[in-house]
Amino acid sequence: MILDLSDDAQEYGRQARHAFESAGGDRLVAQAEAAPETRESLVGPVLAELGAWELDPRTDPDGVEAAAALCRSAGYWALPYPLAERLAKPADLDVDGLIVIGGARPAGTVAGPETRWAAVTVDGHRSRVDAVGPTEPGFVTELVLSPIDDAGAGDVALGLVLPCWTLLGMLDRALDLTVAHVNLRKQFGQSLSSFQGVQFQLTDAEVERSGLDILAKHALWTTATQRPEATDDALALRMAAIEAADVVFRVCHQLHGAVGFCDETQLSWLSRYSQPLRRLPFGLSMTRDHLTRIAARRGLAGLYS
Amino acid sequence: MSAETEDMSENSSDSQAQAQFRREVRAWCEEHIPRDWRSSQTGVGDEEFARFQKSWFAELHSAGFAVPHWPVQWGGGTPVQQQVVLYQELAAHDAPRLVLAFVGIHHAASTLLVAGTEEQRRRHLPAILDGEIWVQGFFEPEAGSDLAALRTTARRVGDDFIVSGQKLWASGGMHADWCLLLARTDPDAPKRSGARKSAGISYFLLDMTTPGVEVRPIRNAIGDAHFCEIFLDDVRIPAANLIGAENAGWQVAQATLGAERGMTMLELAERLANAGFRRLVRSAPVDDPVVADRLAQFETEITGLRGLCRRLVEHGPTGPADASIVKLYYSELLQRLTDFGAEIGGLDAHTVVTKPMSSGWESGSWVLDFVGSWEWTIPGGASEIQRTIIAERGLGLPREPSVA
Repeated sequence: MILDLSDDAQEYGRQARHAFESAGGDRLVAQAEAAPETRESLVGPVLAELGAWELDPRTDPDGVEAAAALCRSAGYWALPYPLAERLAKPADLDVDGLIVIGGARPAGTVAGPETRWAAVTVDGHRSRVDAVGPTEPGFVTELVLSPIDDAGAGDVALGLVLPCWTLLGMLDRALDLTVAHVNLRKQFGQSLSSFQGVQFQLTDAEVERSGLDILAKHALWTTATQRPEATDDALALRMAAIEAADVVFRVCHQLHGAVGFCDETQLSWLSRYSQPLRRLPFGLSMTRDHLTRIAARRGLAGLYS
Repeated sequence: MSAETEDMSENSSDSQAQAQFRREVRAWCEEHIPRDWRSSQTGVGDEEFARFQKSWFAELHSAGFAVPHWPVQWGGGTPVQQQVVLYQELAAHDAPRLVLAFVGIHHAASTLLVAGTEEQRRRHLPAILDGEIWVQGFFEPEAGSDLAALRTTARRVGDDFIVSGQKLWASGGMHADWCLLLARTDPDAPKRSGARKSAGISYFLLDMTTPGVEVRPIRNAIGDAHFCEIFLDDVRIPAANLIGAENAGWQVAQATLGAERGMTMLELAERLANAGFRRLVRSAPVDDPVVADRLAQFETEITGLRGLCRRLVEHGPTGPADASIVKLYYSELLQRLTDFGAEIGGLDAHTVVTKPMSSGWESGSWVLDFVGSWEWTIPGGASEIQRTIIAERGLGLPREPSVA
């Protein structure tokens, strides 16, 4: 079992984070929100330069680690691009990416780039995305689908795991921003960070983030090694990711105060763009429901089986 | 009893006077609450919102329901027992909420009544009843929870004060006619030995049409802009508009800021229990046992909150931190309830980007309501401040050690 990214993958992630910063950093998401049709031209070049489309996460164990590191760095800057979906593309279909779907009105955060998408349900039903609906907030758009086959069970885990890495990157950033804010902001003659009540809230958030970090690595390993429990672990990761995001954003907003809800602060953008990741393809209760349904009788394989 | 009819039956704990008053209020509500206000006010702009608020205020005023808590000679005088009934019934009938008038009828009025001169009262109290809108000019970029750190200055020149500075988070600032303003009149006062940081602050009534006053709305995460910044650039305020003694503004603010907390919290608790919770129950998939359990839990908590509020207004505080307990409990309950609304509303709830203006904090547009609920855990004494007050004043625990 491997519970850490390789040095190469970590270095790749660091370089990607710098590259996204040089390409515009926080400004990218604001620009893309104003004009979703420019997402490809805004972000496509830097991803191509990083070699994102040469990664082969489906068959190459190094590629999957690099893809995870790349998604995490993308999350750090709320990079306005359906990167995880592109990287999750199935090996056996002639498409550019894969969207895991659920619920009555399948949707994805794919408004903008003109890309050939496939979609898959948790049960492995695959379809082709024939058209997308109007662009809704958060680059969400409804998908018009035509069925392909029922052979996608093996595609699901990576399609669930990579977006969790993006969300993890958002939590990294939210905590960095909040630690900086409470160190800078003074009330009652002292930094907010010197109040123990403030410190304890941040530590609770950090415990959540760090738990998610290790689960993300575990699920990445079971996915990369195509173990039979990969989808169980991916769903468990998704559940933990949503729960962690709830706690982390709650604490970060509370400690930023009112300004955290204004778009002058990057936290406001991160928090808004974390929403589609937390709600799509399904929110906390349906994630739990799926997990209960597929893993309830035997439970999770866990670390020591 | 179904969720729809909660509180609409006779209330067995009513006194005879309360029961009679309850019948009157119910009859009035049936006749005067616009039936379509939720749909007609959904997603409207600032101008229509302000028009509707003013006309609803006038409607309540003509019935004697706008300022029941004011002294009788100024147009109020409703006994506390009947005010409780009034707010229960307005909530049960899903009446629009008074948003724009709030600062005027509560904070401005209590400030005028506690510290105003007879002339100031005569100038403003009737005007508030005629629709004069007020805004709070308290908070500043470096003075949020630590309000006493404010830096806006007012220097005396002849019969005027010249005021410069910046105020933040002034809700409804763009509609306001008048502002309750705190400014530093003696910048050296806090430096004197033994003096508090709050020394040397004065309290003013500021006419928002005065030259040098600029209001800029701040757009927030759900896209509305009722928070404002107020910039004050050499604004001239007549000394006659000082309220309370010069340099004693902090004491006036302390005496009046929390003055109306009891009854306004009761109103909010009633709204949470009625329009808010009933709406949630109606939209919830109650066949799901997990959902049913969570709803039952909320029902219990709301009942507790209503009890706390009612005891507070009818019998007064039983401890020094009662108001903080109520505020902390309400704000965190509101946050959890609206969060749950967003959770069970699923993705559909996330595509709702408008809400009925003039509704309560739980309008039924749950995602917007959830973001809006943060206005309760951050301003008006953040939850951290309330916890500190409960610890220090309520439980008598020692003050947090100062690092400075």
